[in-house]
Amino acid sequence: MSTMKLEIVTPHGAIYDGNVTVTTLCGKEGEFGVLPGHAAVVSLLDTGVITATTANNKEVSVAINSGYVKVSEEKVTAIVDGAVVVKDEEGVLSDNLEDAKKLLKSAQSTDATIATAISKVESIKK
Amino acid sequence: MASLKDIKRKIKSVKGTQKTTNAMKLVSSAKLRRAEQVAKNSKEYAAKITEMIEEISANLAKSNEELDHPYFKSVKSPKVVDLVVITSDKGLCGGFNSQTIKRVNAYIEEFESNGAKVRLRVVGKKAIAYYKFAGKELLDSIDDLSSAPSYDRAAEFINAVSQDYLDGKTDRVIIVHNGYINMITQEIRVDNLLPLDPSEFTPSAVATSELEMEPDDDTLLEALVKRYIEFVMYYNLLDSLAAEHGARMQAMDAATSNAKDMVNSLSVQYNKARQAAITTELIEIISGVESMK
Repeated sequence: MSTMKLEIVTPHGAIYDGNVTVTTLCGKEGEFGVLPGHAAVVSLLDTGVITATTANNKEVSVAINSGYVKVSEEKVTAIVDGAVVVKDEEGVLSDNLEDAKKLLKSAQSTDATIATAISKVESIKK
Repeated sequence: MASLKDIKRKIKSVKGTQKTTNAMKLVSSAKLRRAEQVAKNSKEYAAKITEMIEEISANLAKSNEELDHPYFKSVKSPKVVDLVVITSDKGLCGGFNSQTIKRVNAYIEEFESNGAKVRLRVVGKKAIAYYKFAGKELLDSIDDLSSAPSYDRAAEFINAVSQDYLDGKTDRVIIVHNGYINMITQEIRVDNLLPLDPSEFTPSAVATSELEMEPDDDTLLEALVKRYIEFVMYYNLLDSLAAEHGARMQAMDAATSNAKDMVNSLSVQYNKARQAAITTELIEIISGVESMK
């Protein structure tokens, strides 16, 4: 299966960098999925959770507050203000779920968006 | 000549100082390593965000649109210039802060001789204290930020500046700070923050495909530039912090070796004085014995 590179960077450094087969991004105008070979797009990101499936079929989830994403055919670059890994490459749930929720709660978004994001984090937990 | 007791006391006190400076050096070198790492991490973000602005501006150029956003409008002879000065909160770091202040003063003179009004926005207790003492008016000041850079506080500080810029209250914004080169060298760095120079964002590689923007390119560019400005401020703080620790390490290293030299020369003095005292005593005893004969 073809893959593309997914990079998530914050002002404090890179949070995730790896090859994925599909990723779902939380755009300002709605959630959208990206597959390799996607047309070039630049979009604002809203508070939410970025999920991706890695090359070896593992789920990765990263909670973010806000930022941008640049999609090109072989690369997805997300530039975000704050991000916390909820589920890492090994499929292991991280123990900083509280951090993720705190990050989401502090985001400047509508209550509905934040609530959706938090419930998403909680659903990953199960 | 100082008495034996005096010299002994002095040696003890210098040794105490030496211990303190040595400890401070060790603390600074540990902090430097951390600050360096943080700065290195955030460099990646800088590269990505610059790349993104480049591509958007390239896209605008393709559709024959000029970058006509106020952020990019340059003014030939600025009437009001805002200087953002970054210094440390703590002293004992050699010429670290005075170098920055010197450069800022040169700028103030230059702009004022050209008829521009200079407004100062100061970060760090050292520069605040300096300009208060010099009787200069500060437009804005913030402390405890340069010793512990936080993105949110830096953003808040710089957003007030860019708001002033957008409102037309200032024509130019310059950030001056002492930056980090390596463990033993710092360099004054000057960032012409606003207006942004569009030529700095000329893409290095030609974008291959048409770029789609969501929501629309103006909103996106504006938000992106705002983020960029916040980040430049934050990065300057990180850079300044790393340089501060470097400068302090160096200053404390020099102080420690000076203290060592001082202890050495004091010990020589002490030994000489002790020898002199023994000789005098011996002479006294011998002459006493002689007179008894």
